[in-house]
Amino acid sequence: MLKIEDLKVGYGSIEVIHGINLEVRTGECVALIGANGAGKSSTLKAICGLVPVKSGKVTFEGRDITNLSGHAVVQAGITMCPEGRQVFPQMSTIKNLRMGAYTRRDAEQEADLDRMMDMFPILRDRAHQAAGTLSGGEQEMLAIARALMARPKLCIFDEPSLGLAPKIVAEVAATIARIKDMGKTILLVEQNSLMALRLADRAYLFEAGEIVLSGTGEELQSHPEVVKAYLGH
Amino acid sequence: MIEILQQIVNGVAIGGVYVLIALGLTTVFGILGIAHFAHGSVSMFGGYLTFFMVTAWGFPLLLAILIALIVGFLLGMLIELLAYRPVRNANHINAFIVALGLTMMVEGLNLQFFGHEQVVIPTNLARVFDIGGVTIPELRLYVIIAAALLIIAMTLFVEKTKTGQAIRAVAENRDAAILMGVNVKTIPLVVFAISTALGVCAGVMVGSLFAIAPGIGEWLVVKGFAVLILGGLGSIPGAIVGGLVLGVTEALAAGFISSAYKDVIAFVVMIAVLLLRPQGLMGKA
Repeated sequence: MLKIEDLKVGYGSIEVIHGINLEVRTGECVALIGANGAGKSSTLKAICGLVPVKSGKVTFEGRDITNLSGHAVVQAGITMCPEGRQVFPQMSTIKNLRMGAYTRRDAEQEADLDRMMDMFPILRDRAHQAAGTLSGGEQEMLAIARALMARPKLCIFDEPSLGLAPKIVAEVAATIARIKDMGKTILLVEQNSLMALRLADRAYLFEAGEIVLSGTGEELQSHPEVVKAYLGH
Repeated sequence: MIEILQQIVNGVAIGGVYVLIALGLTTVFGILGIAHFAHGSVSMFGGYLTFFMVTAWGFPLLLAILIALIVGFLLGMLIELLAYRPVRNANHINAFIVALGLTMMVEGLNLQFFGHEQVVIPTNLARVFDIGGVTIPELRLYVIIAAALLIIAMTLFVEKTKTGQAIRAVAENRDAAILMGVNVKTIPLVVFAISTALGVCAGVMVGSLFAIAPGIGEWLVVKGFAVLILGGLGSIPGAIVGGLVLGVTEALAAGFISSAYKDVIAFVVMIAVLLLRPQGLMGKA
């Protein structure tokens, strides 16, 4: 579904991604793991048109989307749930959710809104509250629901567990598992490697702007390098 | 009591004009973070244009206003494209200087096209209504109604349409708005087009209620920014409340203290509000 070939990304003259190849197949959950600054988020931003691609190719459903502008990537069917939640703080929860459906013109938006609030009951309780006043965990649920409101073909999660209490992290993991069971294709970036590898069908390990290892979630969970450096046991 | 009501009605009319100017300034500030100083001069251009079409070409007033509105709409897009877009990613001081330069340019163009004479848009609305002892000239009543309708329309547009919500979204979090699929290149065009059209309405109102002359544009934009600071930068409800508060305060000051001190008193009220609420009346702390 999504294919990245020899992707290089840089900020100004500094190259941070040095030619990576990866693939996400329909219905899969793929995780990108690695340390802080390894280039996972930059890869996502390049896919979503937020930072320019230096060279290489990004194809989505056979269509070249390299360096497409951000809004066009969304229209193509890729939605990102960004790091740090990034809700619209002064808008109410319900208006945040409606913004998620910004590119849609169909009649089922209100029904989807209802579905999201069934999936995340806390959002129904907070429907008319300004999103900025929600707790971190509630904002994460809102950001996830907002991303789903676009009915994306590929849903990207950037560090969904960052800065959340352990109990909420487990809730986020359960939510992503549910979204996976709904048949959505997922690309997940996480520093919480164990959580990511348990969720993922396949995973890629990033180190200093390169992919150094790839395999199924189980394979990486038991790989000595990964165990030593990232899982810490 | 009647006298107070009378002054409040007068204040609401000029307050409505302030609100229309401030709505444009506040939406532009909200999404681009720039102080669009040329807004007053551009609005006066709209007023001048209407005057010119009515007096020189003999157009009916409503048709002239409609044409001026459309011109304002297009002019707004042109200003965004040619003046502000090139400095979008530059230091904020660049946009600031562009705004000042644009103000001088538009003032110069107004002078070239329309001369330095003070002009009043002829409306032939001479009736005076008496409502419970409060006298309202016909024109003033229409200005209040038109301003109210425009303010309601703008609020509905921002709150109820996808484009309006996208404008708010870009103002609150630009990157997140992109991730929702908002085209952040077209939103500023829309904002400038609507803001300028509202400004043109304000220009026509000033031109028919009072007069248009060189310098009026600057006076109006200073009042507009006073309203923004009073109401809270970037806030639409703030612009509405702030504009009405400023207009009514001025009218009351002029009616009961001295018309020579009305601006002083209005700014004293503004300073007093800011001492108590530094974020403005409707601003978020």
